[in-house]
Amino acid sequence: MVLGALACLFGRGTPARAEDYSSWHDIETKYIFGFTLGSGIGLEGEKEVTVDAIGRFGKRDGSYAASETKYEFEFTPTQFIQIEFGALGSTHNISGVTGLDDRNQAALSGGFAELRYLAIERTSNNPLAVTLAIEPTIRRIDETTGEHVRNFEFETTVNADIELLKNRLFAGFNLLYEPEVTQTSLGDTQREAKFGGSAALSLRVAPNVVLGGEVWYLRHYNAANLTAFTGDTVLLGPTLFIRFTPKMFMTAAWNTQVWGREVGNSFSLNFEEFQRNRAKLKFAYEF
Amino acid sequence: MLNTMKKFPFAAVCAITMLSASPSSAQQAIEIQVSYSSGQFQPSEVRAPADKPITFRVKNLDGKAMEFESKSLRVEKVVAANSEGVINVRALKPGRYEFYDDFNEKARGALTVQ
Repeated sequence: MVLGALACLFGRGTPARAEDYSSWHDIETKYIFGFTLGSGIGLEGEKEVTVDAIGRFGKRDGSYAASETKYEFEFTPTQFIQIEFGALGSTHNISGVTGLDDRNQAALSGGFAELRYLAIERTSNNPLAVTLAIEPTIRRIDETTGEHVRNFEFETTVNADIELLKNRLFAGFNLLYEPEVTQTSLGDTQREAKFGGSAALSLRVAPNVVLGGEVWYLRHYNAANLTAFTGDTVLLGPTLFIRFTPKMFMTAAWNTQVWGREVGNSFSLNFEEFQRNRAKLKFAYEF
Repeated sequence: MLNTMKKFPFAAVCAITMLSASPSSAQQAIEIQVSYSSGQFQPSEVRAPADKPITFRVKNLDGKAMEFESKSLRVEKVVAANSEGVINVRALKPGRYEFYDDFNEKARGALTVQ
Protein backbone atom coordinates (compact mmCIF):
# COMPACT_ATOMS: atom_id res chain seq x y z
CA MET A 1 0.00 0.00 0.00
CA VAL A 2 2.84 2.37 0.92
CA LEU A 3 4.68 1.41 -2.25
CA GLY A 4 1.52 2.03 -4.23
CA ALA A 5 1.12 5.49 -2.74
CA LEU A 6 4.76 6.31 -3.52
CA ALA A 7 4.31 5.07 -7.07
CA CYS A 8 1.30 7.37 -7.46
CA LEU A 9 3.24 10.35 -6.07
CA PHE A 10 6.31 9.82 -8.16
CA GLY A 11 4.43 9.30 -11.36
CA ARG A 12 3.43 6.44 -13.48
CA GLY A 13 5.06 3.41 -11.90
CA THR A 14 7.33 2.83 -14.88
CA PRO A 15 10.69 4.21 -13.78
CA ALA A 16 12.52 2.88 -16.79
CA ARG A 17 10.44 4.89 -19.19
CA ALA A 18 12.01 8.13 -20.35
CA GLU A 19 10.01 11.09 -19.03
CA ASP A 20 9.03 13.90 -21.36
CA TYR A 21 9.59 16.74 -18.89
CA SER A 22 8.35 19.35 -21.33
CA SER A 23 4.92 17.72 -21.13
CA TRP A 24 4.64 18.45 -17.39
CA HIS A 25 2.38 21.31 -16.41
CA ASP A 26 4.03 24.54 -15.28
CA ILE A 27 4.60 24.64 -11.53
CA GLU A 28 3.87 27.40 -9.03
CA THR A 29 7.28 28.27 -7.53
CA LYS A 30 6.28 30.05 -4.33
CA TYR A 31 6.60 27.05 -2.01
CA ILE A 32 9.16 24.80 -3.71
CA PHE A 33 12.25 26.27 -1.97
CA GLY A 34 11.51 25.68 1.74
CA PHE A 35 12.02 28.78 3.90
CA THR A 36 13.09 30.59 0.75
CA LEU A 37 10.00 31.87 -1.03
CA GLY A 38 9.66 31.76 -4.78
CA SER A 39 8.13 34.47 -6.92
CA GLY A 40 4.72 32.83 -7.41
CA ILE A 41 1.61 34.79 -6.46
CA GLY A 42 -1.07 32.26 -7.42
CA LEU A 43 -3.73 32.56 -10.08
CA GLU A 44 -6.23 35.39 -10.37
CA GLY A 45 -9.32 34.41 -8.44
CA GLU A 46 -7.58 31.62 -6.55
CA LYS A 47 -8.06 31.34 -2.78
CA GLU A 48 -6.10 29.22 -0.37
CA VAL A 49 -6.25 28.26 3.29
CA THR A 50 -3.05 27.07 4.87
CA VAL A 51 -1.53 25.95 8.13
CA ASP A 52 2.12 26.97 8.15
CA ALA A 53 4.16 25.88 11.18
CA ILE A 54 7.75 26.84 11.91
CA GLY A 55 9.59 25.13 14.76
CA ARG A 56 12.87 26.31 16.29
CA PHE A 57 14.94 23.90 18.34
CA GLY A 58 18.08 24.04 20.46
CA LYS A 59 20.04 26.69 22.33
CA ARG A 60 23.54 26.46 23.73
CA ASP A 61 22.37 24.67 26.88
CA GLY A 62 19.20 23.27 28.42
CA SER A 63 16.19 22.27 26.36
CA TYR A 64 14.57 24.66 23.89
CA ALA A 65 11.65 24.10 21.50
CA ALA A 66 9.40 26.87 20.19
CA SER A 67 6.97 27.05 17.32
CA GLU A 68 4.91 29.64 15.53
CA THR A 69 1.99 28.59 13.31
CA LYS A 70 0.25 30.78 10.78
CA TYR A 71 -3.45 30.05 10.22
CA GLU A 72 -3.67 31.80 6.93
CA PHE A 73 -6.04 32.83 4.16
CA GLU A 74 -4.55 34.00 0.89
CA PHE A 75 -6.07 35.18 -2.36
CA THR A 76 -4.99 36.65 -5.66
CA PRO A 77 -7.26 39.53 -6.70
CA THR A 78 -5.31 40.42 -9.85
CA GLN A 79 -2.68 38.85 -12.07
CA PHE A 80 0.02 40.88 -10.26
CA ILE A 81 -0.97 40.97 -6.58
CA GLN A 82 -1.46 38.44 -3.81
CA ILE A 83 -2.83 39.22 -0.35
CA GLU A 84 -2.54 37.06 2.74
CA PHE A 85 -3.63 37.48 6.34
CA GLY A 86 -4.22 35.37 9.37
CA ALA A 87 -3.66 34.57 13.03
CA LEU A 88 -0.56 33.30 14.78
CA GLY A 89 -0.34 30.57 17.38
CA SER A 90 2.81 29.80 19.34
CA THR A 91 4.21 27.19 21.68
CA HIS A 92 7.25 27.39 23.97
CA ASN A 93 8.86 24.52 25.84
CA ILE A 94 11.95 25.88 27.56
CA SER A 95 13.93 24.52 30.48
CA GLY A 96 17.42 25.19 31.74
CA VAL A 97 18.41 27.63 28.99
CA THR A 98 20.76 30.36 30.19
CA GLY A 99 19.08 33.77 29.98
CA LEU A 100 15.55 32.41 29.41
CA ASP A 101 12.83 31.61 31.94
CA ASP A 102 11.58 28.03 32.02
CA ARG A 103 8.24 27.91 30.24
CA ASN A 104 5.72 25.40 28.93
CA GLN A 105 2.90 27.21 27.16
CA ALA A 106 0.69 27.48 24.07
CA ALA A 107 -1.03 30.70 23.10
CA LEU A 108 -2.76 32.67 20.39
CA SER A 109 0.12 35.03 19.83
CA GLY A 110 -0.79 37.60 17.18
CA GLY A 111 -1.75 38.33 13.60
CA PHE A 112 -0.20 39.23 10.29
CA ALA A 113 -0.95 40.42 6.77
CA GLU A 114 1.12 40.22 3.60
CA LEU A 115 1.05 41.99 0.27
CA ARG A 116 2.98 40.50 -2.65
CA TYR A 117 3.54 42.27 -5.96
CA LEU A 118 4.91 40.48 -9.02
CA ALA A 119 7.45 42.94 -10.40
CA ILE A 120 9.04 40.80 -13.12
CA GLU A 121 7.10 37.94 -14.64
CA ARG A 122 8.51 34.79 -16.19
CA THR A 123 7.75 34.08 -19.83
CA SER A 124 8.99 31.39 -22.19
CA ASN A 125 11.65 33.92 -23.27
CA ASN A 126 12.60 35.16 -19.77
CA PRO A 127 13.37 32.60 -17.05
CA LEU A 128 13.59 35.16 -14.21
CA ALA A 129 10.66 36.22 -12.03
CA VAL A 130 10.76 38.64 -9.10
CA THR A 131 8.17 39.42 -6.44
CA LEU A 132 8.33 42.15 -3.79
CA ALA A 133 6.60 41.45 -0.48
CA ILE A 134 5.83 43.26 2.76
CA GLU A 135 4.48 41.55 5.85
CA PRO A 136 3.53 43.53 8.96
CA THR A 137 3.07 41.31 12.03
CA ILE A 138 1.92 42.05 15.57
CA ARG A 139 2.62 39.72 18.48
CA ARG A 140 1.64 39.57 22.11
CA ILE A 141 4.02 36.69 22.80
CA ASP A 142 7.75 37.02 22.16
CA GLU A 143 8.91 34.61 19.46
CA THR A 144 12.07 33.55 21.30
CA THR A 145 11.34 33.83 25.03
CA GLY A 146 7.57 33.24 25.11
CA GLU A 147 7.12 36.28 27.37
CA HIS A 148 4.12 38.59 27.11
CA VAL A 149 5.21 41.60 25.03
CA ARG A 150 3.96 44.05 22.45
CA ASN A 151 5.89 43.38 19.28
CA PHE A 152 5.56 44.93 15.83
CA GLU A 153 7.58 43.50 12.94
CA PHE A 154 7.73 44.68 9.34
CA GLU A 155 9.25 42.02 7.10
CA THR A 156 10.31 43.15 3.64
CA THR A 157 11.51 40.60 1.12
CA VAL A 158 12.52 40.25 -2.48
CA ASN A 159 11.61 36.77 -3.79
CA ALA A 160 13.30 35.85 -7.06
CA ASP A 161 13.59 32.60 -8.97
CA ILE A 162 15.02 31.36 -12.23
CA GLU A 163 13.86 28.39 -14.27
CA LEU A 164 17.18 26.74 -15.15
CA LEU A 165 15.68 23.74 -16.95
CA LYS A 166 12.16 23.98 -18.33
CA ASN A 167 9.72 22.52 -15.79
CA ARG A 168 12.57 20.74 -13.97
CA LEU A 169 15.23 22.77 -12.21
CA PHE A 170 14.73 26.04 -10.39
CA ALA A 171 16.98 28.37 -8.40
CA GLY A 172 15.47 30.68 -5.80
CA PHE A 173 16.90 33.76 -4.08
CA ASN A 174 15.54 35.84 -1.20
CA LEU A 175 16.68 39.15 0.22
CA LEU A 176 15.30 39.92 3.68
CA TYR A 177 15.08 43.04 5.83
CA GLU A 178 13.04 42.60 8.99
CA PRO A 179 12.95 45.46 11.49
CA GLU A 180 10.94 45.09 14.68
CA VAL A 181 10.16 46.93 17.87
CA THR A 182 9.24 45.20 21.13
CA GLN A 183 7.84 46.63 24.33
CA THR A 184 8.43 44.26 27.23
CA SER A 185 6.16 43.74 30.24
CA LEU A 186 8.59 45.92 32.23
CA GLY A 187 8.02 48.80 29.83
CA ASP A 188 11.39 48.62 28.08
CA THR A 189 11.46 49.23 24.34
CA GLN A 190 13.84 47.16 22.22
CA ARG A 191 14.54 47.75 18.56
CA GLU A 192 16.22 45.14 16.41
CA ALA A 193 16.47 43.95 12.83
CA LYS A 194 17.41 40.94 10.76
CA PHE A 195 19.03 41.32 7.40
CA GLY A 196 20.16 38.60 5.04
CA GLY A 197 19.52 36.45 2.07
CA SER A 198 19.18 32.93 0.81
CA ALA A 199 19.86 30.78 -2.20
CA ALA A 200 18.02 27.56 -3.02
CA LEU A 201 18.05 24.94 -5.71
CA SER A 202 15.05 22.67 -6.36
CA LEU A 203 14.69 19.75 -8.74
CA ARG A 204 11.30 18.47 -9.83
CA VAL A 205 11.87 14.73 -9.61
CA ALA A 206 8.28 13.88 -10.54
CA PRO A 207 5.35 15.96 -11.78
CA ASN A 208 4.12 16.42 -8.18
CA VAL A 209 7.35 16.18 -6.17
CA VAL A 210 10.17 18.71 -5.82
CA LEU A 211 13.34 18.11 -3.79
CA GLY A 212 16.00 20.67 -3.03
CA GLY A 213 18.31 22.42 -0.66
CA GLU A 214 18.77 25.95 0.60
CA VAL A 215 21.29 28.09 2.43
CA TRP A 216 20.53 31.22 4.48
CA TYR A 217 22.88 33.93 5.72
CA LEU A 218 21.30 36.12 8.41
CA ARG A 219 22.67 39.09 10.36
CA HIS A 220 21.15 40.48 13.55
CA TYR A 221 21.26 44.08 14.73
CA ASN A 222 20.09 45.82 17.89
CA ALA A 223 18.82 48.70 15.79
CA ALA A 224 16.34 48.97 12.93
CA ASN A 225 18.80 50.95 10.80
CA LEU A 226 21.41 48.15 10.81
CA THR A 227 23.99 50.06 12.88
CA ALA A 228 24.42 47.84 15.97
CA PHE A 229 25.59 44.46 14.65
CA THR A 230 25.32 41.66 17.24
CA GLY A 231 25.94 38.46 15.27
CA ASP A 232 25.27 36.39 12.20
CA THR A 233 24.68 32.83 11.12
CA VAL A 234 24.56 30.41 8.22
CA LEU A 235 21.73 27.88 8.02
CA LEU A 236 21.66 24.97 5.61
CA GLY A 237 19.20 22.20 4.85
CA PRO A 238 16.95 20.17 2.56
CA THR A 239 13.52 21.08 1.19
CA LEU A 240 10.54 19.08 -0.05
CA PHE A 241 7.36 19.98 -1.91
CA ILE A 242 4.57 17.51 -2.69
CA ARG A 243 1.34 18.22 -4.53
CA PHE A 244 -1.15 15.56 -3.44
CA THR A 245 -4.01 16.67 -5.68
CA PRO A 246 -4.48 19.60 -8.08
CA LYS A 247 -5.83 21.58 -5.10
CA MET A 248 -3.77 20.33 -2.15
CA PHE A 249 -0.06 20.42 -1.39
CA MET A 250 2.49 20.42 1.39
CA THR A 251 5.96 21.83 1.77
CA ALA A 252 8.61 20.97 4.35
CA ALA A 253 12.12 22.17 5.15
CA TRP A 254 14.81 21.66 7.74
CA ASN A 255 17.63 24.13 8.40
CA THR A 256 20.62 23.51 10.68
CA GLN A 257 22.98 26.21 11.85
CA VAL A 258 26.36 25.32 10.34
CA TRP A 259 28.21 28.52 11.18
CA GLY A 260 27.63 31.49 13.43
CA ARG A 261 29.26 34.10 15.61
CA GLU A 262 28.19 36.39 18.42
CA VAL A 263 29.81 39.77 18.86
CA GLY A 264 31.80 39.71 22.12
CA ASN A 265 31.80 35.90 22.41
CA SER A 266 34.16 33.32 21.03
CA PHE A 267 31.49 30.61 20.67
CA SER A 268 31.47 28.76 17.39
CA LEU A 269 27.74 29.17 16.69
CA ASN A 270 25.24 31.96 17.35
CA PHE A 271 22.58 30.88 19.85
CA GLU A 272 21.86 34.34 21.19
CA GLU A 273 19.62 35.35 18.28
CA PHE A 274 19.21 32.06 16.42
CA GLN A 275 18.54 28.39 17.17
CA ARG A 276 20.45 25.22 16.38
CA ASN A 277 17.73 23.95 14.02
CA ARG A 278 14.53 25.19 12.46
CA ALA A 279 11.83 23.27 10.62
CA LYS A 280 8.92 24.27 8.43
CA LEU A 281 5.80 22.27 7.62
CA LYS A 282 2.98 23.74 5.61
CA PHE A 283 -0.28 22.27 4.30
CA ALA A 284 -2.45 24.20 1.86
CA TYR A 285 -5.82 23.74 0.21
CA GLU A 286 -6.77 25.86 -2.79
CA PHE A 287 -10.29 26.62 -3.94
CA MET B 1 0.35 62.50 13.32
CA LEU B 2 -3.30 61.44 13.56
CA ASN B 3 -4.00 63.07 10.22
CA THR B 4 -1.08 61.17 8.70
CA MET B 5 -2.40 57.91 10.10
CA LYS B 6 -5.84 58.59 8.64
CA LYS B 7 -4.34 59.25 5.24
CA PHE B 8 -2.21 56.08 5.27
CA PRO B 9 -4.97 53.53 4.49
CA PHE B 10 -6.21 55.75 1.65
CA ALA B 11 -2.70 56.05 0.25
CA ALA B 12 -2.22 52.29 0.56
CA VAL B 13 -5.46 51.60 -1.32
CA CYS B 14 -4.41 54.04 -4.06
CA ALA B 15 -0.99 52.38 -4.32
CA ILE B 16 -2.51 48.91 -4.59
CA THR B 17 -4.95 50.11 -7.24
CA MET B 18 -2.12 51.67 -9.24
CA LEU B 19 0.02 48.55 -8.92
CA SER B 20 -2.76 46.25 -9.99
CA ALA B 21 -3.96 48.33 -12.89
CA SER B 22 -2.48 47.17 -16.15
CA PRO B 23 -1.24 50.09 -18.25
CA SER B 24 -3.07 48.61 -21.18
CA SER B 25 -6.35 47.99 -19.41
CA ALA B 26 -8.01 50.71 -21.48
CA GLN B 27 -7.03 48.98 -24.73
CA GLN B 28 -9.47 46.90 -26.72
CA ALA B 29 -9.04 43.25 -25.77
CA ILE B 30 -8.22 40.61 -28.36
CA GLU B 31 -10.90 37.92 -28.20
CA ILE B 32 -9.99 34.26 -28.48
CA GLN B 33 -12.68 31.61 -28.72
CA VAL B 34 -11.93 28.07 -27.65
CA SER B 35 -14.36 25.21 -27.35
CA TYR B 36 -13.97 22.22 -25.07
CA SER B 37 -15.47 18.94 -26.10
CA SER B 38 -14.72 15.26 -25.48
CA GLY B 39 -11.97 16.35 -23.10
CA GLN B 40 -10.07 18.37 -25.71
CA PHE B 41 -9.57 22.05 -26.51
CA GLN B 42 -10.47 23.08 -30.03
CA PRO B 43 -8.36 24.69 -31.33
CA SER B 44 -5.56 23.66 -29.00
CA GLU B 45 -3.09 26.18 -30.42
CA VAL B 46 -4.12 29.83 -30.58
CA ARG B 47 -2.26 33.05 -31.33
CA ALA B 48 -2.46 36.69 -30.22
CA PRO B 49 -0.43 39.85 -30.68
CA ALA B 50 1.88 41.05 -27.90
CA ASP B 51 1.09 43.94 -25.56
CA LYS B 52 -2.67 43.74 -25.96
CA PRO B 53 -5.10 42.43 -23.34
CA ILE B 54 -6.82 39.17 -24.22
CA THR B 55 -10.27 37.78 -23.51
CA PHE B 56 -10.67 34.02 -23.67
CA ARG B 57 -14.21 32.77 -24.35
CA VAL B 58 -14.23 29.10 -23.41
CA LYS B 59 -17.31 27.13 -24.47
CA ASN B 60 -17.63 23.91 -22.56
CA LEU B 61 -19.65 21.57 -24.77
CA ASP B 62 -19.13 18.58 -22.49
CA GLY B 63 -21.66 17.27 -20.00
CA LYS B 64 -19.44 17.97 -17.01
CA ALA B 65 -17.62 20.99 -15.62
CA MET B 66 -14.04 21.82 -16.60
CA GLU B 67 -11.52 24.25 -15.13
CA PHE B 68 -9.59 26.42 -17.55
CA GLU B 69 -6.24 27.00 -15.85
CA SER B 70 -2.83 28.35 -16.70
CA LYS B 71 0.09 29.02 -14.35
CA SER B 72 1.84 31.24 -16.88
CA LEU B 73 -1.30 33.24 -17.70
CA ARG B 74 -2.05 33.24 -13.93
CA VAL B 75 -5.77 32.56 -14.38
CA GLU B 76 -8.22 29.81 -13.50
CA LYS B 77 -11.95 29.54 -14.05
CA VAL B 78 -14.44 26.73 -13.62
CA VAL B 79 -16.76 26.50 -16.62
CA ALA B 80 -19.96 24.56 -15.93
CA ALA B 81 -21.24 21.88 -18.30
CA ASN B 82 -22.69 23.23 -21.54
CA SER B 83 -21.89 26.84 -20.74
CA GLU B 84 -19.36 29.56 -21.54
CA GLY B 85 -16.65 31.10 -19.36
CA VAL B 86 -14.97 34.45 -19.97
CA ILE B 87 -11.38 34.90 -18.77
CA ASN B 88 -9.63 38.25 -19.02
CA VAL B 89 -5.86 38.20 -19.35
CA ARG B 90 -3.42 41.10 -19.06
CA ALA B 91 -1.41 42.34 -22.06
CA LEU B 92 1.30 39.72 -22.60
CA LYS B 93 4.90 39.73 -23.69
CA PRO B 94 5.91 37.50 -26.62
CA GLY B 95 6.15 33.84 -25.67
CA ARG B 96 4.29 30.58 -25.34
CA TYR B 97 1.67 30.26 -22.60
CA GLU B 98 0.23 26.82 -21.86
CA PHE B 99 -3.27 26.21 -20.56
CA TYR B 100 -5.12 23.06 -19.52
CA ASP B 101 -8.19 21.62 -17.87
CA ASP B 102 -7.33 21.21 -14.20
CA PHE B 103 -9.93 18.42 -13.93
CA ASN B 104 -8.41 16.50 -16.85
CA GLU B 105 -4.64 16.84 -17.19
CA LYS B 106 -4.63 15.37 -20.70
CA ALA B 107 -6.59 18.33 -22.07
CA ARG B 108 -4.00 20.95 -22.98
CA GLY B 109 -3.52 23.89 -25.26
CA ALA B 110 -1.20 26.81 -25.78
CA LEU B 111 -1.34 30.48 -26.62
CA THR B 112 1.51 31.85 -28.70
CA VAL B 113 1.99 35.59 -28.33
CA GLN B 114 4.04 37.33 -31.03
